[in-house]
Parts: sequence; C-alpha cells; structure tokens
Amino acid sequence: METGIRVLLLTAVLMTLPGCASVRNWFHHRSEVRQQKAEAKEEAAQQDAQAAAADADATPPRVVDPEVERRKIKVPHIRSSNIEIGINDGFISIEDFGTNNAYGLTAAYHITEDFFFQGEYGRAYAGRTSFETLGGNIQLLTSAERQFTYYDISLGYNFLPGETFIGRGHALTTAFYFLGGIGATKFAGDDRFTVNFGGGYRVLPSDWLAIHLQVQDRVFRTDLLGVSKLTNNMEASLGATVFF
Amino acid sequence: MIRFALAGLLLSFVLLTAPPAVSREREHLQVYITAPYLELRSGPGRGYPIFHVAERDESVEVLFRRTDWFKVRTERGVEGWAAQRDMLRTVLADGTAFKFDIGDRAGFTSHHFEMGIFAGEYSGSTLVSTYASYSLNSQLAAELSVGQFLGKYTNGVVGDLGLTHVLVPEWRLSPFLMLGTGLVHVSPKATLVLPSERTDQTAYVGGGVRYYLTRRFFLRGEYKSHIVFTKRNANEEVDEWKLGFAFFF
Repeated sequence: METGIRVLLLTAVLMTLPGCASVRNWFHHRSEVRQQKAEAKEEAAQQDAQAAAADADATPPRVVDPEVERRKIKVPHIRSSNIEIGINDGFISIEDFGTNNAYGLTAAYHITEDFFFQGEYGRAYAGRTSFETLGGNIQLLTSAERQFTYYDISLGYNFLPGETFIGRGHALTTAFYFLGGIGATKFAGDDRFTVNFGGGYRVLPSDWLAIHLQVQDRVFRTDLLGVSKLTNNMEASLGATVFF
Repeated sequence: MIRFALAGLLLSFVLLTAPPAVSREREHLQVYITAPYLELRSGPGRGYPIFHVAERDESVEVLFRRTDWFKVRTERGVEGWAAQRDMLRTVLADGTAFKFDIGDRAGFTSHHFEMGIFAGEYSGSTLVSTYASYSLNSQLAAELSVGQFLGKYTNGVVGDLGLTHVLVPEWRLSPFLMLGTGLVHVSPKATLVLPSERTDQTAYVGGGVRYYLTRRFFLRGEYKSHIVFTKRNANEEVDEWKLGFAFFF
C-alpha cells in the first residue's frame, strides 16, 4: 500500500518537474519582455527628445501666425506672328501675248524658320500676239478671254538668311527663298492646271513689314494656237506684306 | 496708270492702317535665364548673327513668337531673337519651367489645327486641293477641304466637310478614316454633249495614311469615294486620290 502511494507521489512530482522548468522559462520570458518594453520606452523618449531639439532649432516659437497666400503668376498669352498677308504688282510675260502688268494678293504661313506655305491670286490682261499685230484686224480672243487670272498654293524654303545694311546704324534682316507649287490659270475661256516655281528676296524693314521681290515661272499646257504645247509665263513682281 | 495709282494707294493704306503689332504696349511674360547665358540673334533663324548675350539670372520679356523663335527684350532694353531650345531653359518668376507648344512628335499625336496642300486625281482629272482641320480630340477631327479639278472634258470645284478618325494617333505612320458630305460644281467644256454647268450634293467615305516627317510636317495620302446625287436617274460614283504635304499647329 505504502509502495503504491509512494509511486503515485513520485509520479506526481515527476510530472510537475517539466512544469517547473516551464515556469522558470516563463519567468525568464517575462523578464525579456519587460526589458524590451523598457528599451522601447527609452528609445521613444530619446527620439522625442531629439525631435524636440530639432524643432527648437528649426522654428522659433511663433508670435503671429502669418496668413500669406502664395502669389499666383498669371502667364500672359504669347502672341504668334506667323501669318503674312500682302499685295504685289509687277509684270508677266504671257507666252505669245506679250508682257503685261500683273497684280495680286498673297498670304503665307511660316511653319518653321525654313519652310512656309504661300497662296497667291493674281490677274493680268493679255496683249496682242505678233500675228494679230501684223495681220491688221484679226482678233484671236475676245476682251473677256484676254483676262488672265491665276492662283497657286506653294511651299517655300528660306535659304541664305542674312542682313542688309543701310548706312552705319541700320541692319535689315533679309532672306532669299525658293518657291514651288501647283495651281490653275484661267485664260482664253479655259482653266488649266499650272505648275509654278521660282524664287524671291525678302527684306524686313521692321518685324511686321516685309518687302518682296519675286520671280516665278508659271507653266501650263495649252492648245490655243492649234498645237498642244507647254507655255512658260515668267512673272516678276514687287510686293509688300504685313505679318500678323 | 490708274491701276498703279490704285495699287499704290492700297499699299499705303495697308501700311498705314496695319497694326504695328510689335510696338503695341501690352503686358509681356517675364522669364529668368537658368542657363549660363542666352544668345540673341538679329533675326528669327539660325543663319542670323548673334549680336548680344544675356547672362544667367537676368530676366527677359517675351514679346512675341515667330515659328520656333521668340523675340525678347532684356533688362537693358536690347531686343533680339532667342531660339526655342534656349527658351526651354528659362523659368517663370515662381521658379517653374517656361512651357510652350513645341512642334514635335507629341504635337503630331495631339494638336489643334492642321493644314495642307494636295495634288491628285478626281475622276480622272488633275486635282489641286487644300484642307484645314480642327481636332476635337487626338483621334477625331472636323475637316474642310476645297479643290479644283482640271480635266480634258470637264473642269470643276469640289468642297467637302466631314469627320476624320485617326485610328492610332501615336504611330508615325497612322491610318485614318473619313466620312462626310460636300458639293461639286462641274463645268463641262463647250464641245461636250452636256454643256450645262451643274452643282450637286455629294457624300463621301474614305481613308488614308499620314506619315510624320519632322518638326511640324507630315505627309498625307488619301482616297475618297464620292457619291454624287445627280438630278438624273442614277447617282454617279467618283474616285478621288490625292497626296500632299501638311503641317499642324
């Protein structure tokens, strides 16, 4: 009986021993947690102190809290001045019909410093052919048919930009340009597809004014005098344009 | 002689009444130079000489712009032309960068206006044509085009108004589709059986491609299939092909 009780008690003691070990561990763990907490507290306190020190350095205590609105900058619109509109007057040599006065309107848009598009519309009045002059009373065309009107849309290329000097104090910017385009010519009661090409010289007395000297050939096919042929119609004109 | 006098009068009228836009007093934008210096040229182009240099931290007034050049006035009152790429290195008074529209590939993808000229064929006749378009967004644009066709038997004028849809605007070679309506005025040459001039309404559907070249330029080729609503029993179908140069701004 006694042996039975002893065995029971010993078993109970043996069973509790690992428990004691865990209790010891538990206490150990508790102390670790406590230590961590203390460390965290200490760190926080240190950080607080540092932040407070930094604050003290950066901003002195404010007496008045200023309410200043940041000035908003209004960006004014920058005007573009790429459009050029003007008039011109000059001469055109209409093949077989002599050299005649021609005048017209031009409008151009400058896309880059090198390239521009230009539209032109012009009128001239064709004179008499040598045949008509020599033949006396012969009239090849009626008065209305002698009206020579043309338009073209061209691409221009500025080359040789430079300056021209007037006296000592004035320099005007200048440029030579090539022109090439397509359009139509109405002459002798018919419209004809026309190719134009040529060049010009542009002088700018001021930023908004330009003087042009322009020479162009207008080429179209016609069968007016019996055979179909290409005619070259050279035009030289002096013009003034305004930049907008 | 009277014509010369009239031309002279008109010229002087234009010169006198035209607004000397540059000298007009207005509020100009002031920008500050952040690069070591800003070169000023005597004209709006790389070929014109540099005659003045403004230093870092100086300010210049931006008077106006022509193509890729800005006319500026320095603090000392010197006026000259500064290049776009140099102006990109200036800042506003609040320190933010001076931003403006530069004609580049991004502009090709998204812009407000387009204009161009074409040569082509309209129903077998030679066509001279021009167009202008306004972009509603980067893909959709309202477009107006006018042209004149010059043929062996007929001449005429065409005008179209419609919508253009660019499928993929960011591509360098980008296709587009067109749909719209218009008018055609045909004047047959006198020797024909039907010598009467006529104006008819048309409708068109078409497509084409545009190809970005450089700066503000692109090539554009297109095809339109027109239906002409004639007063006769049958409607006419007309093909239009054209190729040309265009630019955006």
